[in-house]
Amino acid sequence: MTDAMIEFRDVTKRYGSLVANDHFTLTIQRGELMTLLGPSGCGKTTALRCLTGYIRPDEGRIFLDGKDVTELPTHQRELGMVFQSFALFPHMMVQDNVGFPLMIRNLPKDQRQKMVAEALRLVRLEGYETHYPRQLSGGQQQRVGLARALVYRPKVLLLDEPLSNLDAKLREEMRFEIKEVVTRLGITAMYVTHDQAEALALSDRVAIMNRGRLEQLGTPEEIYEKPQSRFVAEFIGLSNFLEGQVQAVDRDTMAVGVGGLQVTVPALPRIGPGHKVLLFLRPNEIELLRPDAPAGMNVFDARVEKATYLGDTMDYRLTLGQGLDLRVQSDAQRRFGPGAQVRLRFPRVRCWAIPGD
Amino acid sequence: MTLMKAYLRGLWEGKFILGYTLLLSLTLFIAAPFLMIALRSVGKGWFGRLWLPPQLTLDWYRWAVEVGNIPEVMKNTLIIGAIAVIVSTVIGIFAGWAFGRRQMPGKEVLMAIILLPRMIPPITYALGVAKIFYTLELVDTYLGVAMAHVSVCAPYAILVLSATFEGLDERVLEAAGVCGANTIKRFIYVVLPLILPGILASMIFSFTHSYNEFTLTLLTYGPNTVTLPIRTYLAVGDGYWEITSAMAVIMVVPSLLILAMIQRRAKPEKLVGGFKGV
Amino acid sequence: MGAGNDPPPPFAAAVQRDGMTAFWRTHQSTLVTVFLLLPALAGFFGLFFYPMLLTVILSFRPEGHEVGWTLENYTRFLADPDGRWVILLTFILALGSTALSVLLSVPLSLILREKVRGHQFYRLMILVPLVIPGLIGALGLLLFWGSRGWFNLFLLQFMPFVQRPVAVNYTIHGLTMFYVWLYFPYTCVTTMSALESLDRSIEEAGAVSGANRWQVLRYIVLPLITPGILAGSVLTFMAAFGAFSVPLIAGGNYRPLAVEIYKQISIPIPARWSAASAIAMIMGLLQVAFLTLYMRFVRRGGGTGGPR
Repeated sequence: MTDAMIEFRDVTKRYGSLVANDHFTLTIQRGELMTLLGPSGCGKTTALRCLTGYIRPDEGRIFLDGKDVTELPTHQRELGMVFQSFALFPHMMVQDNVGFPLMIRNLPKDQRQKMVAEALRLVRLEGYETHYPRQLSGGQQQRVGLARALVYRPKVLLLDEPLSNLDAKLREEMRFEIKEVVTRLGITAMYVTHDQAEALALSDRVAIMNRGRLEQLGTPEEIYEKPQSRFVAEFIGLSNFLEGQVQAVDRDTMAVGVGGLQVTVPALPRIGPGHKVLLFLRPNEIELLRPDAPAGMNVFDARVEKATYLGDTMDYRLTLGQGLDLRVQSDAQRRFGPGAQVRLRFPRVRCWAIPGD
Repeated sequence: MTLMKAYLRGLWEGKFILGYTLLLSLTLFIAAPFLMIALRSVGKGWFGRLWLPPQLTLDWYRWAVEVGNIPEVMKNTLIIGAIAVIVSTVIGIFAGWAFGRRQMPGKEVLMAIILLPRMIPPITYALGVAKIFYTLELVDTYLGVAMAHVSVCAPYAILVLSATFEGLDERVLEAAGVCGANTIKRFIYVVLPLILPGILASMIFSFTHSYNEFTLTLLTYGPNTVTLPIRTYLAVGDGYWEITSAMAVIMVVPSLLILAMIQRRAKPEKLVGGFKGV
Repeated sequence: MGAGNDPPPPFAAAVQRDGMTAFWRTHQSTLVTVFLLLPALAGFFGLFFYPMLLTVILSFRPEGHEVGWTLENYTRFLADPDGRWVILLTFILALGSTALSVLLSVPLSLILREKVRGHQFYRLMILVPLVIPGLIGALGLLLFWGSRGWFNLFLLQFMPFVQRPVAVNYTIHGLTMFYVWLYFPYTCVTTMSALESLDRSIEEAGAVSGANRWQVLRYIVLPLITPGILAGSVLTFMAAFGAFSVPLIAGGNYRPLAVEIYKQISIPIPARWSAASAIAMIMGLLQVAFLTLYMRFVRRGGGTGGPR
């Protein structure tokens, strides 16, 4: 289970002075669902198009199932792909859309019908065989697209922001459905998206891209809990960044001075006293305590500047130390008004540091 | 502007009665001339103050066919139309593909230049076309008259076809490629079915143009290449209104059939770009 | 692909061939584009540009000569009161029919927008003059409005004080009306499509703000469709300005520019090609000049508030 199915090796693609992919290297294992995650313009779409053969990289090679496919035309790559705009053939009925890859491969008619029926069952679209794409809803159209991509069991399934043209509720439903289908078939899949929730929910591994390069690669847990750079941390929704300087290191923890406070966090390799670091704190992981709560490690006094009621949670803007601003979300059972004095506790393991500049 | 305002305001006040009166008069305004032509073509002894012809006859049609030589004229019209359609569609497909799907510098300017013939009254370049065709001895040949028609038809074909090709979704073509279709199969199974309606529309537009074309034909026709509009014009000059009417009916029927055929498919605003019967 | 690894070719011919393929490879896309445009460009130069050039040259030649230059063809036409009248007449007919087309089209499109009974039939009726040869239209109109046509029959039988047929054919107002019949669909169809693409919720917003239906029409709908109306009226103007077959058979003594040009090469023997070319040049220039002015007007004032 460890052999590589898709491999990008130093893929570079330039558009004039713009570098869309900059020595992009990534390996996707057989049977794995890998997500390329990043903001628009980060090069994830270019990487995908290089894999489909629609774009030829300027440098680097691409391997598919151990074979160099860099020079191979699109139609010989044995891929399945789901498009953001669905890209169904508007002049064909559902069954002909789904059966198109089979027809191209000259499969006998009865076998074709069987496989189409099976693919439609897989995406729960039985009974729509003779509909035209324009007669279907967005979600149904995307399921046809999925069936078309899977019908001939391609080596690799590519999904190019397949859910971004659907509404929010449908998106969650389809997310689950895609995950289930891909897991059931055990197919290798590459999923491209800019939606971090989608990426975390779906993937075996996530590759975060920035400016044409791979920024961080890891399981959803690793990405979420241990971001390796400010870019990744910001991209997956962290909002409290504190700049500090390491004061002391004690085996697996270190003390960091931040705006007159001393915060204890897990130690980092090769970081000693005097190094600058950046601390991340999730707003919902900071504990909010009464002002008379007992003092202790990572417990600080703060003042509420702004409080917003969000239904099940309260959203606070706090100031503490020497000019530090923090955003904290806590449950709405216990509320503080603006001006109130509170105590905060940073859970040590949830407080994550990376080397600063 | 105040005049316009008062006019509209007046219409607005009595809108229901006025609305239906307007629609009815419009129908009459447009249809009455055709009724007159149709009646004239089958009427006999229709003089003086009579609403309808006293006797019906088909003689004028017989005259039109025998004296006016309509079958021969129809043949000329169709042959010239076919050549004009083929040439302008080929031009349209090539140029439309370039304009609709390929990158090039100064595309808009080039397009405007190629479509320039639509902005200039046809009679102004018809003179030059006629002069050239006289020296090339293309006057009074099928090819010559058809080529003159192409100068009117081709801009519309280019316009319609570039819009068609531009509307072709790149992602759909990519999807076909990912599904395993090579260039040829992609063209046969995906591109062709999607552009065929556009090509047909452009062919119908071109044919209607050629069929109705008068100005350029008048300057390039000869005894062997009399087309239906020319034949009708010559008959008007001879002053036989009944025979002229019969010819007009023969000529109008295909036009109306084409209109009935395409009106459900094509949007009217596209027709405006497509037709111009001068 | 691998071309750079080859040993240097031994013969000059091979160098040349390699240069050719390299040229093809780097300019392939451009060459394909040029190839695709070739038929259109050939048609454009052969059937439009060269004929126009010839017309220009001819218009400066003394009548019947292949050499020499003269302005006489222009000065003769422009100095002649008849010539100036022809130009004026062409403008009167074109502008008059354009204005009338707008007056007819706006209420018509507003009515047809409401999906009244049979609206599809009326829509089809509007398209009829577009697909009919102008010649046939003119013939039918002459028959209908003539002294023995239904129009005069109706006046004589049902209208008091009408003793003799009213002259419509071969008059300037009759000709203007014929032009309207033939060319109003351009304006009408464009106006209708402008109305159709109008977002109904904008009108709703106007009504919610307290405008009555007249005010909604006056202050919201009309300003929004004005660009569409003007675009359509340009088409009507162009068609009416260049009209040839209709005034040829239904104009009588009223001969606008197009007919005047044809007259020069059809009536006198030998044909006066240079005079015809000069008038053609005047006509083309007038149309281009007028369109330029019109477009400028549309862009500056007429098209305020348009969504596109």
